[in-house]
Amino acid sequence: MKHLTEEEMIEHYYSEDFRKADAQLHLQACKQCSQAYAELGKLLGSIRSPETPARGSDYGEQVWRSIQGSLRPYESKRKNSFFHWPQLAYAAACLLFLAGAFLAGRMWEYAHTKPSLASAPQQAKERVVLFVLNNHLDRSERLLVQLNHAVAEGDKVDFRLQGEARQLLTDNRLCRQSVDRSDDPLLAAALDHLERVLLEVANSPEELSGADIPRIDQEMNTQGLLFQIRVLRTKVSEQKLNAQATPKGATI
Amino acid sequence: MGNDDYALIRSVLAGDKDAYGPLVARHSQSVFRVAFRITEDEADADEVVQEAFLRGYRNLKGFDARSNFRTWIYRIAMNCALDVLNKRKNQTGVPIAEEYDDAQAAIQLADRAAGPDRLLLSQEIQARRHAAMEKLTPTERVAFLLRHMEDRSTEEIATALGIAPNSAKQAVFRAVHKLRQSLAPLWAKS
Repeated sequence: MKHLTEEEMIEHYYSEDFRKADAQLHLQACKQCSQAYAELGKLLGSIRSPETPARGSDYGEQVWRSIQGSLRPYESKRKNSFFHWPQLAYAAACLLFLAGAFLAGRMWEYAHTKPSLASAPQQAKERVVLFVLNNHLDRSERLLVQLNHAVAEGDKVDFRLQGEARQLLTDNRLCRQSVDRSDDPLLAAALDHLERVLLEVANSPEELSGADIPRIDQEMNTQGLLFQIRVLRTKVSEQKLNAQATPKGATI
Repeated sequence: MGNDDYALIRSVLAGDKDAYGPLVARHSQSVFRVAFRITEDEADADEVVQEAFLRGYRNLKGFDARSNFRTWIYRIAMNCALDVLNKRKNQTGVPIAEEYDDAQAAIQLADRAAGPDRLLLSQEIQARRHAAMEKLTPTERVAFLLRHMEDRSTEEIATALGIAPNSAKQAVFRAVHKLRQSLAPLWAKS
């Protein structure tokens, strides 16, 4: 049999035990616990609070009089609200200022973003032109190199070169139209020069003979044109790279 | 009563200091009763009542409108009473023995020899009880008084003392255990 502990007896005495019925049954059955519990009850029952001294009906007023002097009145709410209103006005002004700044920012962004967005197709178009121009100059350079090699070696130029020249001639006209709009006089002059050379090569009635090529070289200065084309191709390549480096989402 | 108290509190907070007067008058008696139960000294209890109402006034802004002013001021009073007990404990010059000691009976039992046997025993018990109560820590003492004299539940004691319910229960257990140790010899004698 498990006896009740002192704590269980105290809880039982103050009726705070959860298993009150169990404790009661045990106390009825166990003489030892019953005796200990009776002693505890006797002891706790003997402890009584000393009688509280009587205080007169005016005790509360006496207490109030004794503390009244040391109390400072609270500030009234009206006073508080009076002192608070400039702070509220200041807060409202700050809010208005913030809202204004936000709106101004949005409007500024809108005003500056719109043209940029509109220019996005223009930039894309420029990138295409640069790509085509770079390709055209590359092919033209190769054609001029072949012509110069033929001059150096005194060979004939086959009909495939003439076919290439005809194709380049068509492309060159398109490129010239684009360059005319872009306002680049150096490039326009070079393309003009190139057109004359291509026209000469393309419109030759038969295969270019060993004598024709030096004449074209001399009259058209193809060596100088080749140099010019190389310089321009480098420039166009750089422009093309720069155009590609511009982020797609950039608006400004 | 509760709504009336709250209306007075609102007046006080609005700047009407005198509205606190009726609150003090209304609750002074009950605050004095609990203060005396804890301190067992009239002068200390009076001091506790004044201090409790002063602290209450200063902290009135923190009073929760959903609470009961009586319970709130009651708790402040208990804290003030605990402060008094702590102060008293620090100033005690004569040590009180844990166990009953015949050699120190003159100090422990003020009026041991007077009256018939039964009265003498009763006086001994009260004197011994007072000495035993003085041996308790302030928390044990208040917890025991609230449990034994005021018939408060463990949860109420815990709330009043600002401790966990289990700590409150343990404080009561320790207090009863100490009282048993101190008072058991008297029961053996009787």
